Amino acid sequence: MKLSEDDIYRTSTQFNHWSFTTQQLAAQRLKTNMQATERVKANVARQRAQRLQQAESDSLSSGVENGSGANTPLPDRSSDVKEVDCLTAEEELMIVDEFCERALALGAHCQFPTEVTASCVQFLRRFYLYNSPMTYHGQNISRTAMFLACKTENAHQSVETFATNFSKTTAEQILAPEYVIVQGLRFQFDVKHPFRGLKGGHLELVEMARGSYEGPNNIEDGMTSADLQARMLTLPRKAHEPSAKTSMQDMEKRLTSAYGFASHILKNAALLTDAYFLYTPSHIWLSSHLLADEPLTLFYLSIKLPSHSPLYIKLLSTLRSCAALLSSHRTFNAQRSPDVDAKHKARVKQLIEKLKSCRDPDKVDLVKLNQAQKRDAVEGEGGFDESKAKRRKVERETYQKESDNFWGPELPKA
Amino acid sequence: MSKQPTRANGASTKRLAEDGGASPLSKSLHGLSLQHASRPPAVADSSSDICPVCKSSRYLNPNMQFKVNPECYHKMCESCVDRIFSHGPAPCPIAGCARTLRKAKFRRQTFEDLKVEREVDIRRRVAGAMNKKEEDFETLMDYNDYLEQVEEITWNLILKVDVEATEGRLRRWEDHQKAELNPNARRREFDSSVPTDHVVLKKGATQRKTAAPASTPQTIANEMNEDIGFKFHGLKKRVAPPPEAPFDPFGGWSIAPQYYVLQDDYEVDWLTNQKNDVKHSVGGYDMRDFYNRSLREAFGGFGVFIEDEINARGTPSLDPHVGTKQAASVAVGARDVNMDDVF
Ligand SMILES: [Zn+2]
Ligand SMILES: [Zn+2]
Repeated sequence: MKLSEDDIYRTSTQFNHWSFTTQQLAAQRLKTNMQATERVKANVARQRAQRLQQAESDSLSSGVENGSGANTPLPDRSSDVKEVDCLTAEEELMIVDEFCERALALGAHCQFPTEVTASCVQFLRRFYLYNSPMTYHGQNISRTAMFLACKTENAHQSVETFATNFSKTTAEQILAPEYVIVQGLRFQFDVKHPFRGLKGGHLELVEMARGSYEGPNNIEDGMTSADLQARMLTLPRKAHEPSAKTSMQDMEKRLTSAYGFASHILKNAALLTDAYFLYTPSHIWLSSHLLADEPLTLFYLSIKLPSHSPLYIKLLSTLRSCAALLSSHRTFNAQRSPDVDAKHKARVKQLIEKLKSCRDPDKVDLVKLNQAQKRDAVEGEGGFDESKAKRRKVERETYQKESDNFWGPELPKA
Repeated sequence: MSKQPTRANGASTKRLAEDGGASPLSKSLHGLSLQHASRPPAVADSSSDICPVCKSSRYLNPNMQFKVNPECYHKMCESCVDRIFSHGPAPCPIAGCARTLRKAKFRRQTFEDLKVEREVDIRRRVAGAMNKKEEDFETLMDYNDYLEQVEEITWNLILKVDVEATEGRLRRWEDHQKAELNPNARRREFDSSVPTDHVVLKKGATQRKTAAPASTPQTIANEMNEDIGFKFHGLKKRVAPPPEAPFDPFGGWSIAPQYYVLQDDYEVDWLTNQKNDVKHSVGGYDMRDFYNRSLREAFGGFGVFIEDEINARGTPSLDPHVGTKQAASVAVGARDVNMDDVF
């Protein structure tokens, strides 16, 4: 019983549960958005009604406090009329992308290994596939996702140390949404990255350039590794160019620069697009290598597969579509126009402002929710009886109501 | 002493009353029998309460215990055994016996009748040697014949007919069985035969050298028409169980890369540091593990086309039966990831 590399990949959770077609992805995002919108609207309406009631009873009980309390309920009442303006699925995706980018910056700032940052970004993307940023704000989630990624990628830090990376953040704030995220990830922490695969490919390419490659060869029967080397050294420098002779040293330099460029793509564009959902890590690194040096990559592929086999044709078209996805991302072009960047930033800023007005009021304070959950978990160990459960629910609701009153509703920013 | 019988009687009266009443005679009889039962089972014969060797009686020494040796089944008290046999094997002190007995073989008798005791011992011994089962024979008939033969051997020993010959055959049979079960033990036996001729061979080393290889064909010949004590018709040849295969943690699965062949070494600049780092090599880190892993990951999913495979499997990838119940309900979107609790 033999297993090929593909069989092994097929057993991964990434393939079984986190790979989608483009249609599936879009449908799932729409679904998540609709559910979140409904919930936000319902929760906001409920909260407003409660607050209105509270305000009325307050004004009845004491006229003195009415003067000071007027500040808070007033804007509330005016906004009562208009519906909450929720994010659309596309806007949500944009916000998620933004938080992914921020996570990259955060990883660079904390000097975490690439895998940690990359896993964090993938955790975020996976999590927000089934959850809306309106429900769980990206800022809370991304910090915790980063903490989780540190643990899953063998770069563990204590929560306290980790929390010092952020200003005004306590360990508790980091831990609060942890279980939510872990559940959202369905307890599947293994993210298959293309980084090591790229290294493997690079190793083989270098061996070919040195004429000591021993692997399978599909170009011609009876080709020695020296022939292969000769063939490789006459590859054209760019696609659609005539072949040109290169020295071995130049070839190695060329390989290194191709590796560098491909790895840059993997660390940015590949993470910030849906590549991980749509393609296998093998396809991702090959596509980025294809973008970095097309003749070399095609040569490499033709060694691995006979170039007229249906598999080769299929593979190449898949790689090209993946490459198109990767190169479509903003970060692909190093010298992108500042104009595009500015436009993008303005749009994101606007969306984040919008998000402030349509967050699910029930999920704003994750720390408190986590505490409530834990308290119940401890109390509820002996099984629930109906009355006890009901009493606790009432207790918690009043507790939340009180704290809402204490802080008051969020002030609208001018 | 006076208390016990009355209590026993009281108990018996109660029981009898439950039975529906009985004559006073049967009542008293019952009481008597109970009294007997409460005493340890003793041998009825008063003569057997006296040691035939030292003539001390149980009457004077209530803790006295009798022992027998399966060699001759002569009975004697424990203190006699200690006295006579503590210093090694000695002849049986019973007049006219004189068999050599060992202390270790003495034991308490199980059956009151020493004949039964002896028969049980013989049967146990024969059953130990003759332990074939029905499935070891070709037919049921053969098995029955075998059983009959075994019974005959047993009775020969019990009735002391041909004891010497039967014992010899039995011993040879046992040796043969043992050798068949464990071929290594048999080889050792041949080795042990060397010291016996050693005395003879001492005269000249050359003689010994020539003798050693010569013995081999002889032993083979011995094996061919070796007297194994008994021959049973239809007894299947014992098939040695196949040697146990070494444990395979992967249950027969192995990884056979399709797209690459692992080379012993890859020459790249960015690995020279790791390769030459003592800190890595001293811990047993093998660069080939890294090469293999990176190449496996390079081609993991090389021929997997997600869109095709997802469409082929028909069911959506969002399988709700994954993870915990809650996580699953989250996946389906029925509920939010749960911080809101159990209500
Ligand atoms: Zn005695
Ligand atoms: Zn005796």
